[in-house]
Amino acid sequence: MTSNLDDSNKQLLPETPPADVSGETEPIISWEAPKKPLRAWRLWVPLLFQTVLIAAVPAPAFYTYVTGKTVTLQTAPVDPYDLLRGYSQTLGYDISSQDTLKTLPGWKDLPGHTSTCPPVEPPAKSTCTEEKSVEAGTSFYVIMEAPKSAAASGRPQPWKPVRVSRERPKNLPANQVAIKGKYIGQSAEYGLETYYIPEDQREQINNDINLAQRRQPGQNTQAIPFVVEAKVDAQGNAVPVSLWVRERKYRF
Amino acid sequence: MVSDNFRHQLRQEAKLWRAEGLINEDLYQQLSERYQFYSLETAASNRFIAILTGLGGILIGLAAITFVAANWQFWSREFKVALLLSLFIGVNATGFYLWRTPTGTAGKRDGWKQRLGHALLLLGAIILGANMALMSQMFHISGSPHGLYLVWGLGVLAMAYSLRLTSLGVLAMILMGSGYWLGVFDWRSKEEFSWLELLVQHMPVVASLLFVPLAYWCRSRAIFSLAAIGIVFSLETSLFQGSSVSPAWIAAIACALPPALLWGYDDTILPNIHSRWFQPLARTLALWFLGGMFYFCSFRWWENASSQQIEAAALLNWIPLLDVALLGGLTVWEWLYLARQGRKHPSRKGVDLTTNTIACFIAVSALIPLWHFSFSSIPLLATFAFNVLLFLLAAGLIQEGLALGNRGTFWGGMVLLVLQIISRMLEYDTGLLLKAFVFLLCGIGAIAAGLLFERYSSTLAPSKEN
Repeated sequence: MTSNLDDSNKQLLPETPPADVSGETEPIISWEAPKKPLRAWRLWVPLLFQTVLIAAVPAPAFYTYVTGKTVTLQTAPVDPYDLLRGYSQTLGYDISSQDTLKTLPGWKDLPGHTSTCPPVEPPAKSTCTEEKSVEAGTSFYVIMEAPKSAAASGRPQPWKPVRVSRERPKNLPANQVAIKGKYIGQSAEYGLETYYIPEDQREQINNDINLAQRRQPGQNTQAIPFVVEAKVDAQGNAVPVSLWVRERKYRF
Repeated sequence: MVSDNFRHQLRQEAKLWRAEGLINEDLYQQLSERYQFYSLETAASNRFIAILTGLGGILIGLAAITFVAANWQFWSREFKVALLLSLFIGVNATGFYLWRTPTGTAGKRDGWKQRLGHALLLLGAIILGANMALMSQMFHISGSPHGLYLVWGLGVLAMAYSLRLTSLGVLAMILMGSGYWLGVFDWRSKEEFSWLELLVQHMPVVASLLFVPLAYWCRSRAIFSLAAIGIVFSLETSLFQGSSVSPAWIAAIACALPPALLWGYDDTILPNIHSRWFQPLARTLALWFLGGMFYFCSFRWWENASSQQIEAAALLNWIPLLDVALLGGLTVWEWLYLARQGRKHPSRKGVDLTTNTIACFIAVSALIPLWHFSFSSIPLLATFAFNVLLFLLAAGLIQEGLALGNRGTFWGGMVLLVLQIISRMLEYDTGLLLKAFVFLLCGIGAIAAGLLFERYSSTLAPSKEN
């Protein structure tokens, strides 16, 4: 014990221990519950905060779900080894791939740089085409248009991408919708890439999807009988709602 | 901080003093009250049981997650939400009311309630994460998981502050650390503005503001260490992200700022803190950082590292450097405070000597990269200088350990020294015979030093050895 612990400042000790004393003379604070029971608000205030956080997680998706417009999207084949991650299905779309996006008008106006072809002597023909490489992390909007003909069978017809825009387009006609995407290098993400499915049905759904994705030679990707219905809100945010694999609809 | 070991010894001694009539019953009671002798008996077994119950809580939390996930399709969405929320609130409330049972003289009898309550509170913290994950599953949200970890960590942190619980604080820091780790390396999530990105980008300052007060509030060395590690790591990441601004200066700051910040740390700089709880810990961490950095820089990286390579990243990203500037300002203030303290108490010359040595170490380790990257390339000199620094640090630690009879310091220095010798030998092309000889010398040296130290420290402080 040091001389600092005389009677005069003993009462003050728990709150304000004297300065310049090494740790040995500190009052010990127990790692267990305090001696006086805590007031109830010490639980309920942080619990309320945590509940608000829980509600905040799905809130934007819920908003999109309620206010959004239904869009049908054509899926693209995904790597079969990457099909299942836990109980979720990884989805790829037609509009996810760079090959589709770069054919759309507006793609060349996104930030990035365009590769230039080296000048070629007049007799030789240049085999090089100018490539636009968009900066990874760029967000943009894809404008989708509803199909003109109604679905012949139960499975709805996929919407077609019309153009790409850096800014969110205003005053779109009723048959068009803008989906917000983010270019991540080689492909784009729309927040529609994961669909959670129940454990006992994943085998069946996977088989179904595999069957649907097995392409006959000469058939193009447009013909894959696997589409996803999603809701898109006015801000361009999208949530997946249901899967249509061949003539069967899955919704969880 | 008082260790259990010390309290055990003190109780033993105090009983002896009372029996010998050195102190009266009243004083013994005061000591007993102050150092909580009554809780000593159960402390060790409490800790073991607490670990077991905590583990049990975590496992039950995982069980709840898998159970709900397995039965996903049978229940409606509303029912699932209601079930999860009521489980979450029920577990937390039960845990809280069990845990807050006062410990008094009947503390031993009610101990199980506290432990069970504590485990339930931990379980509640895990169910919070499960709730968030399952909510995002219900709406098929495909986001990167780092946001989830960050929000989860914030929720648990609020509870840790409110209940003053170290275990929840550590859990919150681990969660936020994972969130930061996932978020900062996820380059896809950049560009868009969101408050989560803001949190990740300004983690050095956020961690300082959120975690360091918690360490004082819970009086927890574990939380302080984790906070310090988190701050240093995020600081280095921020520096790396901003390295295109001026590579030479950034490299110098990356070497010098963390150890300076940690070594200069003084608890009394904070308002309402009047004693140095965590200063020794911060200084130990500073030494760890210096040891690690010197060891890393003592390899022959310098020939390949040139400023041109770093400048290739042309992106001018200065926002992360705001945090660096803030913490740098804090460091300058800390050292001014140290200098003023040194002038006020001229009797503490020994302490100042160590501080001056460390200051020289830090200055040299900042100057070398600065010179190397901005003026002329000095790969050989840099490698040599860092080897000298490493050797000096190791020798200094050994000497300090011997002088103070501090086993940890002594062995830390020994390990650094042996590591240095063996690394240099393997790095440079040396003959097998020489290798064998060096290994032999290192082995003999380590054993001899150990024996010497044990004998020396037992003559130095015989009371410490029993």
